[in-house]
Amino acid sequence: MADNVPRQEELSTLFGSIGIGTIVSMLLVLLFAFLLSRLLTLLLSKLSERTGWQRIKLKMLIPLLKFGIYGAAFYYIMANVLEISGQQLLILGGLFGAALGFGLKDLFSDFIGGIVITFEKPYQVGDKIRIGKYYGEVMDIGFRATKLVTPDDNLVSAPNGLIFTESVASANSGSSEMMVVIDLYIACDADASLAMKILREAVISSKYVYISEKRQVTLLQKAFPFYTRLRAKAYVNDLRYEFEFESDVHTRALEEFRKREIRVPELHYLEAFPEMKDFNFPELTSNKP
Amino acid sequence: MQDNIICANHGIYVDHGGGPAKLSGKGELGVLGFEEEIGKIQAAIADFELGNTLNIALIAGPLGGKTTLLEEIERKNPGRVTKLGFPAVVRNKKEISLSPTSRRVVLLDDCHFLYMRKIGGFDAFYGFLDMISSRERLFISTWNLYSWNYLNEVFGLGKYFPVQVRIPALTQENLKTLILSGYGEGEIHFTEELESEKEPVVYLIKFPLPFALLGKKIDLLLPKINFPYLEKRFLKKEKEVSAGDRVFEKLYLESKGNPGVALRLWELGAGYPQARPEKIGGFSFEVELEYEEAFVLSLILSYQRLTRAEIAEMTGSDGEEKVNEAIFRLLHQKLIFIDGDAFCRVRPEALGSVVSYLEKLRLVW
Repeated sequence: MADNVPRQEELSTLFGSIGIGTIVSMLLVLLFAFLLSRLLTLLLSKLSERTGWQRIKLKMLIPLLKFGIYGAAFYYIMANVLEISGQQLLILGGLFGAALGFGLKDLFSDFIGGIVITFEKPYQVGDKIRIGKYYGEVMDIGFRATKLVTPDDNLVSAPNGLIFTESVASANSGSSEMMVVIDLYIACDADASLAMKILREAVISSKYVYISEKRQVTLLQKAFPFYTRLRAKAYVNDLRYEFEFESDVHTRALEEFRKREIRVPELHYLEAFPEMKDFNFPELTSNKP
Repeated sequence: MQDNIICANHGIYVDHGGGPAKLSGKGELGVLGFEEEIGKIQAAIADFELGNTLNIALIAGPLGGKTTLLEEIERKNPGRVTKLGFPAVVRNKKEISLSPTSRRVVLLDDCHFLYMRKIGGFDAFYGFLDMISSRERLFISTWNLYSWNYLNEVFGLGKYFPVQVRIPALTQENLKTLILSGYGEGEIHFTEELESEKEPVVYLIKFPLPFALLGKKIDLLLPKINFPYLEKRFLKKEKEVSAGDRVFEKLYLESKGNPGVALRLWELGAGYPQARPEKIGGFSFEVELEYEEAFVLSLILSYQRLTRAEIAEMTGSDGEEKVNEAIFRLLHQKLIFIDGDAFCRVRPEALGSVVSYLEKLRLVW
């Protein structure tokens, strides 16, 4: 009880010293930090978009800069505007802890998540990621949330705290190329080796493909009871062309299949096996693994 | 002869696609600056005679001098070689078959025409790989750098050619010799700039730098110390950078030692009979293209010359209208031109900008 008296005095001194001038100074510092951060983010984003496939290397600096600027602003406010002593900082820490207990836990978790994402880099701005139920290109990593643009052009804000509870998959992890898995299906009795040759040539001649010593094209074939699946694993030169690449290979390969009379599976066998009509064929309805 | 400079008995010429622009030749030069490469090739031919077959690939970007080098090899080995050139895209395996009377050393020019970048467009290329795998003959082939890089990554082409010769850039001195050999002694006068334009002790020069990160060529301003002036001022030496040296320095920096580009820049900038340094180079291209158009440009760069029909065939379902639209845009931005035989080609003066832009998009590797 005796210890509480000086603490209350410390707090009274601290809050008592905060006048209008101090508040204005704090707001000005924060405004400056905000404007500087926005300006640098904008400049870096614009510049990185001009650099083509190397844009991700520049964009990864954005969250670092943000945390740096706001960290410096916070330090400046504490040390120069409020002139907080070590003891006062401890007391404020205690107050902050209590606030967490009263409902700011999620916000704090998101903030810590933002720091972890910035420094540990499970993903970066520009990556294509799957986090929780969301999939898309990371546009921004903020203090509270990561903004993704989905393939349908929806802007999704995924709380940064998700990285503590959900697994995160980054399709490219900092590179601009990413692997795309392309499946095609042919009838069981179709010429699979010719179809494989066509699929390979469709992939390697695509305007979106990227091939290097480490980024090779892989072709796989698997027979199922009523059809054969041909799978190509190849890298698109820029992750933004993921779906265009898949569509380009599909379109040209299927056109060639038709020319070369390679039959694709048909569902007429359902008539032979009427009991299978209600069976769900996931392989035939989805092109994703 | 498709794209390269010839320095032989008949003088020098460079074919920019609109027909060879012949410069008046004055004597026998041989091939400038490729002595080391020629030595390497001659050694491989000698090895072949001893039973060691090492196929050779001569690789260079457009106008880099690969055909010239191949012709020099042919000239140095009379009666020992058979030369075969591919003037257009090869569609049939039969076009590459060798007659039984062919000699044991086979020179193959413009091998980047052996494939078409489309489904079913690689059959002639497969036949070619099959042919060169036999160890009965030695194959010396020339390849466009960008086609080579593509085929090497996709098919491991390098494994079939144990000897790979990357044709180097010419030095400034060699470029000077090459260009001036087309004229008589004293025929070209290099004019100094006006007195007021003479450089001070330290002055800025524009250094053209293909900046792949931004996909374009930028001019860096670099400080340069006027050593000849200092020498003259303090050491009483009379040597001074002449206008001629500055002309060739600019040509060298702009062309990056590519002889075809340098010749084109010379043609465009140098007046006759007076040449002034400030008239040389200074080309800058702001390339802004849709992805499809950039892909068409990458095909033209990789094959060096293509007809509209060939481009349409390779771009597939996009149709000829799209190709016409793309070609129109490329012509409008002065990145390509159409030669007398209706082939689309990259403008030599735009080559650096085109390559930087396509590297940025990863359309050439």
